[in-house]
Amino acid sequence: MNSIRPSSRLPGLLLAALALAAAPAFAEGPSAVVGPVHLPPDVAALPVEQAVLASPPHVPPPITRRTPARVVVNLEVKEVTKRIADGTEYTFWTYGGTVPGSFIRIRAGDVVEFHLNNHPSSKLPHNIDLHAVTGAGGGAASTFTAPGHSSQFTFKALNPGLYVYHCATAPVPMHIGNGMYGLILVEPEEGLPPADKEYYVMQGDFYANGAYAGGGLQTFDTPKSIDEHPTYVLFNGAVGSLVGDNALTAEVGQRVRLFFGVGGPNLTSSFHVIGEIFDKVWLEGGNRVAQENVQTTLVPAGGSTIVDFKVEVPGTFILVDHSLSRAFNKGAIGMLKVSGAADRVVYSGKEVDAVYLGSAAEAGSVAAKRQDELEQKIAAEIKANPAIAGLAKEVRIEKGKQVYMQNCFACHLPSGEGMAGVFPPLAKSDFLQADRERAIRIVLKGLSGPVTVNGQTYNGVMPPQGEVLNPEQIADVLTYVTNSWGNSAEPFTVDEVRKVKGE
Amino acid sequence: MKTRLLVVHLVAAALLLPAAPLLRAADACCHAPLAPAAPLPAASLYQAEADFTTDAGAGFRLAELRGRPVVLAMFFASCTYACPTTIGDILRIREKLPAGLRDEARVVMVTFDVERDTPAALRDFRESRALPEDWVLLHGSADSVRELAALLGVKFKREADGQFAHSNLVTILSREGEIVHQRAGLSGGLAEAAAALESAIGVEAGKP
Amino acid sequence: MSRLRCAFLRLPRLLLALIGAALAAGGAAPRGGEAMATIPAGVYRPVSRATTDPETVAVAAFRLDALPVTNAEFLAFVVAHPRWRRSRVSPLFADETYLRHWAGDTELGPLAPPDAPVVNVSWFAARAYARAEGRRLPLLAEWELAAAAGYATPRGRDEPDFNRDLYAWLARPTPDVLPAVSSARPNIHGARGLHGLVWEWVDDFDTAMVTGESRADAARDQNLFCGGAAAAASDPGDYAAFMRQALRSSLKARQGTASLGFRCAADLSPP
Repeated sequence: MNSIRPSSRLPGLLLAALALAAAPAFAEGPSAVVGPVHLPPDVAALPVEQAVLASPPHVPPPITRRTPARVVVNLEVKEVTKRIADGTEYTFWTYGGTVPGSFIRIRAGDVVEFHLNNHPSSKLPHNIDLHAVTGAGGGAASTFTAPGHSSQFTFKALNPGLYVYHCATAPVPMHIGNGMYGLILVEPEEGLPPADKEYYVMQGDFYANGAYAGGGLQTFDTPKSIDEHPTYVLFNGAVGSLVGDNALTAEVGQRVRLFFGVGGPNLTSSFHVIGEIFDKVWLEGGNRVAQENVQTTLVPAGGSTIVDFKVEVPGTFILVDHSLSRAFNKGAIGMLKVSGAADRVVYSGKEVDAVYLGSAAEAGSVAAKRQDELEQKIAAEIKANPAIAGLAKEVRIEKGKQVYMQNCFACHLPSGEGMAGVFPPLAKSDFLQADRERAIRIVLKGLSGPVTVNGQTYNGVMPPQGEVLNPEQIADVLTYVTNSWGNSAEPFTVDEVRKVKGE
Repeated sequence: MKTRLLVVHLVAAALLLPAAPLLRAADACCHAPLAPAAPLPAASLYQAEADFTTDAGAGFRLAELRGRPVVLAMFFASCTYACPTTIGDILRIREKLPAGLRDEARVVMVTFDVERDTPAALRDFRESRALPEDWVLLHGSADSVRELAALLGVKFKREADGQFAHSNLVTILSREGEIVHQRAGLSGGLAEAAAALESAIGVEAGKP
Repeated sequence: MSRLRCAFLRLPRLLLALIGAALAAGGAAPRGGEAMATIPAGVYRPVSRATTDPETVAVAAFRLDALPVTNAEFLAFVVAHPRWRRSRVSPLFADETYLRHWAGDTELGPLAPPDAPVVNVSWFAARAYARAEGRRLPLLAEWELAAAAGYATPRGRDEPDFNRDLYAWLARPTPDVLPAVSSARPNIHGARGLHGLVWEWVDDFDTAMVTGESRADAARDQNLFCGGAAAAASDPGDYAAFMRQALRSSLKARQGTASLGFRCAADLSPP
């Protein structure tokens, strides 16, 4: 390095850079050390700051400066054994000792000097692909680092947004499946709107060589990963990492912001907070609010979202992947505990607890009386509203068709035409449409003996359906047959059926 | 083997303390010129023990290159893709130097193909390509070639059809055998390589 | 105070070093009857290969050290070859990780039990050791063939307990102090610890034309590498093989890591 003779053609700064680049590099071909980048004077003049990294669920404070900086990020890769579920440990591979890895917060226009330090105790080489990086591999080749070594590369944050970073060393699903992912926020130049609480949550699927919370030390299971059958689907790397004493907290009236990402390696998340509506969603982690008033937002593997919501009432709000087996059986549950005064108009809490037995209620009991009153009220409202009444008839016909196609079609045929001389037709049947009560009675109690239908005599036996079908089904099927194949009639009601049944 | 190494170290200890030995004692009598007595820089490739043979059939060690800057590339004679381009690029790097400096550097080409690129085959290669007489074409044992490749960071692998997959790297060595520049790939980088070579030429051996 | 204690601690370490050196200078070292295993001829199938690479590599029968080289054995080597001592080694051949877990140039210390595999050695150093022993490093295909053998059959992948042990080791971070080489269970050929102790150098570790960007290597960059073609995985489910490949391609010949050692090989019939 000191052996380079200054040349008059080279400006001093350039010479210094050349000298650095010309230092013996022990280069390893293309993935190789190419030497520090030569920063143009305007970049070299930027203030240098050390990035403050935060462990989940915490987020570094918002960036207050309104000009770019050179930000130095030091991230350590460490393989650690930690609790994944009660009584069960797992060997995680981490960025910064946690799953997800440390949260990195920079500003659009920043020039980042990134150091990836692979701890000497690591079993494997690792690297990092930051989705915030514009450049082949997102930094993967430049940061491919053997255990006990360190790599450095520089990138400029061109696009604001919330980005996933992850390890891209083969076999990639294993590195991600062991927890090697995190989020890097590139704040827009003007910053994000203020929030009272900011939290960092990432979902990941884990494939363990044992059962869910099966005890002992578990490690990665290759076949389960290939088949995409996760043992755990977790928020922040462990069952219960965001519940009980670890729950996220906020106070009534505060604006809560969640930086949510999905590391994968395989699953997409239907991210939902039970009992809250996202006021704003920066869909897929992009840099503008793309949607308001969202119940569930889809977050792809290797993707993110920013959600804001003001908490209006106190209580415990559950974070889930709304693919609910993952929440119920595999651990994808977190909690946001909101404290403060209740607003019972926004949410009352349970006002009444009463017995409800539905149609099984004993005649004359309080419950049956309440049920009857309810049904009458509903029937009156339906009757008074032609739009609802029409809809009700359509629903009846649809349900009746299902009954017909199970119980009636074998004789009367799907077309309602019956078989000449054997099974009378229902389509355009004068007999059927002449007498509603007779029709109900025949379905309930069967029919034998000669009848004349559309001028033809039939003398067969129809079995009773009263034990097979309940009054509602009979009303439905009669509504169907009297409104199909050219027939037309008022819908049959349950009351009409009950009346005939009680004869 | 052990005995010979022991001798090496005794001689080395006597001659060169405290530096690492440069040459094998057993070979020291047979090669001229002897390496200068000054210790080599820590990063000098000329500490390597690899043995080579020139296309004239003479034994050769990298330390013999000490004193002049070197443009070094690895290749194989039957390569039809990258190696001819690399040879052309080396000539172009040379042409980018000021006229008076063009003969200051030596060009060294070392073959991967230890089976087919015998010294005689390399001689044929030199003649068929009309390579300048002062270019050094080297054949070595598989062991030596692998060691040199490791020192340079050149990856290579023999493929099923007998061809070689390999990194495309041109390395500039200082007069003392230190890597001062590497040009990776087949496109671009010639001006940078020429600048690095010119810097290396501009430095007198032992006088920073 | 701490200096004083250091001085006291040094004495036994020095003794230990001398004992180690004496042992190794005595010749074949404490390897007993299992100095070298014979690995029968076989076929190695690379886990991923360029389309121009052969699908399989025939491997002739060869001999392989039954155990990886220990700290005591490597100590004897550096005692006999001072240029490979930590303080003297050329930075060309080893970076600052070289033998960093040793207490000193010729002192093993508490992190380097004599019977534990030596680690933090560069490829150059491993080769120099093998050469001094009149042997060589195994080739990648040789090592992989030997390591494919299970406890009871030539194909460990079909043995549940072999797979369990393999992946359990892969999943564990490297401990500060490595276990004794003799703790490893022998495979059917009598070689111990090919899995479960340390990663091991092979002579041709750097033949993978990869860029460090595993996902891009499906299409080889003709600008950076001459020859070859897209890498194709022969068995994308063999994660352990991918991990060895990733480890090897992350290494540079002058580097070492706290979990990387080596063992020597030799041709079956020395010429």
